[in-house]
Amino acid sequence: MADTKRLYLTKVVLWIYSCFTLLILGYLVWNSFRSKQDVLTNTIGWPREFTFDSYAAVFRDDHFGTNILNSVFILAATLLITVILSSMVAYGLGRYKFKFKQGVMMYFLVGLMFPIQLGVVPVFLIIKNLDLINSPWSVILVLSAGLSMPVLLLTNFFSGLPEALAESARLEGAGEWRIFYRIMFPLASPVIVSLCIVLSVSVWNQFFLPLILLQDEAVKTIPLAVMKYTSNILLSMDKALATSVLATVPILLLFFLFSERIISGVASGSVKE
Amino acid sequence: MGSLIKNKPYLWFILPGFILYSIFIIYPIFSAAELSLFHSNGFGSKTFVGLENYRELFTNPELKRQFFNALKNNLILVVLNVGLLIPIQLYFAYVIYTRVKGYRFFQTMIFAPQFITTSVIVFLATLVFDQNIGIFNELLVKIGLGDHVRNWLGVPGYELVTLFLINAWAGVGFSMIYFVAAMKMLSDEVMEASYLDGAGYWRRFFLIIIPQIRASIVNIAVISYIAAMTTFDFSYLLGGTSGGIGNKMDVMTLFFYRITFGTNGAMGGSVSSNSVGMGTTIACVMFAIIFLVALLQLKLSYRKEDH
Repeated sequence: MADTKRLYLTKVVLWIYSCFTLLILGYLVWNSFRSKQDVLTNTIGWPREFTFDSYAAVFRDDHFGTNILNSVFILAATLLITVILSSMVAYGLGRYKFKFKQGVMMYFLVGLMFPIQLGVVPVFLIIKNLDLINSPWSVILVLSAGLSMPVLLLTNFFSGLPEALAESARLEGAGEWRIFYRIMFPLASPVIVSLCIVLSVSVWNQFFLPLILLQDEAVKTIPLAVMKYTSNILLSMDKALATSVLATVPILLLFFLFSERIISGVASGSVKE
Repeated sequence: MGSLIKNKPYLWFILPGFILYSIFIIYPIFSAAELSLFHSNGFGSKTFVGLENYRELFTNPELKRQFFNALKNNLILVVLNVGLLIPIQLYFAYVIYTRVKGYRFFQTMIFAPQFITTSVIVFLATLVFDQNIGIFNELLVKIGLGDHVRNWLGVPGYELVTLFLINAWAGVGFSMIYFVAAMKMLSDEVMEASYLDGAGYWRRFFLIIIPQIRASIVNIAVISYIAAMTTFDFSYLLGGTSGGIGNKMDVMTLFFYRITFGTNGAMGGSVSSNSVGMGTTIACVMFAIIFLVALLQLKLSYRKEDH
């Protein structure tokens, strides 16, 4: 549209915002290759030397390698369980007619209204009784139980599929379960991809639950490990820089590579509500 | 059992998810409400005290002060987020929707901080605005404004503004993308007709776009209200368990966390003998406030839709 040419002020603001983000990330990466002394005493001066020491240190002296694996494991397991359970529930709700169906649907939606903090004390006590404090499974179980949004999204999808698809398979003698995972589930893959993108962001950045459920250094996730270094900058500035780069840059590179796809996935995942 | 599988296949689809969801989402809600009626710290014995915890929360001077201080801070953040950030997000969304030059780049850059975890975001803010190592102060000195050097992350009186600005920088993208998607769903005919009618850029924004995506705006307003009422990460990362000097950055979730898990984090440090009883009481009051206002907001907006 032609008249966007005149929005000088808006464009200036958008350029400043975008460049600020890029500059600060560049500054982060740049400083991570300097020694701690250099960064602390010579903040914007030209670096005296380039070194990979900070990176070596977080893997050698510390658990950061394990922290990365924990985060990856929690993300993968949570996505897998959530996708399997929510698509099954949604299929049951979307494809079959039965008594109390509306009630069950409402039951799954109720979860959207409750902030995680409300139930966190009982959750903590349950996890403690199961002896899962300091196990990644504590976070995985609690996060995978948040089925409300995925169920809502997928139920709408499954209930919109034509019955003829299932009917012809049924005539050929396929069982209900087979119809689900061989025919219906694959059809849902675009919705599931959007779902996984939205879930990944929230699981990967989850701070509150791991803070409460994972207390051993070796089982902490990336956000908690980064906090350990950033909370005492004078002591561990170098490690704070290195872990921040490792926590941020690979993910952002992936995002920049697939940004169109990811943004449209997020958009379609949220609008279909 | 065999006939049950045959006759009611949906049961087997729904049951596994139903069980997990019931244990970790639904049961804890009722359990929290029940625990708030007990004097308990989660270990050993618990004593039924009725509504005593609620009475204590609103009469004990220190608890009352901390609660209302945190609530006030949450409400200020709600006003800033709903009153200031949402209009900015709407406007950015419109600019991107109308494909201003470079819109793909802007969209990507504005959305990018979604992928930066909160502890790194606070660290980035420290790198720029810290008293001693921040580049902002260094720049001030270089350009001869050395008198203004200070800890920009804790300017007395502006702690909440700092909190809001960091949150705004990191969070502006999500709702913006949602608004862009809502605008793209509008029919092209309406837009073209208004364009041919000679409606200007701003007129189209205010008179055509905004009224048509009103439902999305209300939706985002409720979501960002809930988000601002339950915010935790930035207060905790910037101010620790106390929420900064004089609880200036304190919020309800942090108050809840401090009472339940003590001042040195979960399980450690000083936990009162009633940590679980008082913690769940705070959680229930918090939920009541959030729920009533969210319901009111939704109800008001649906009434408007009817007309």
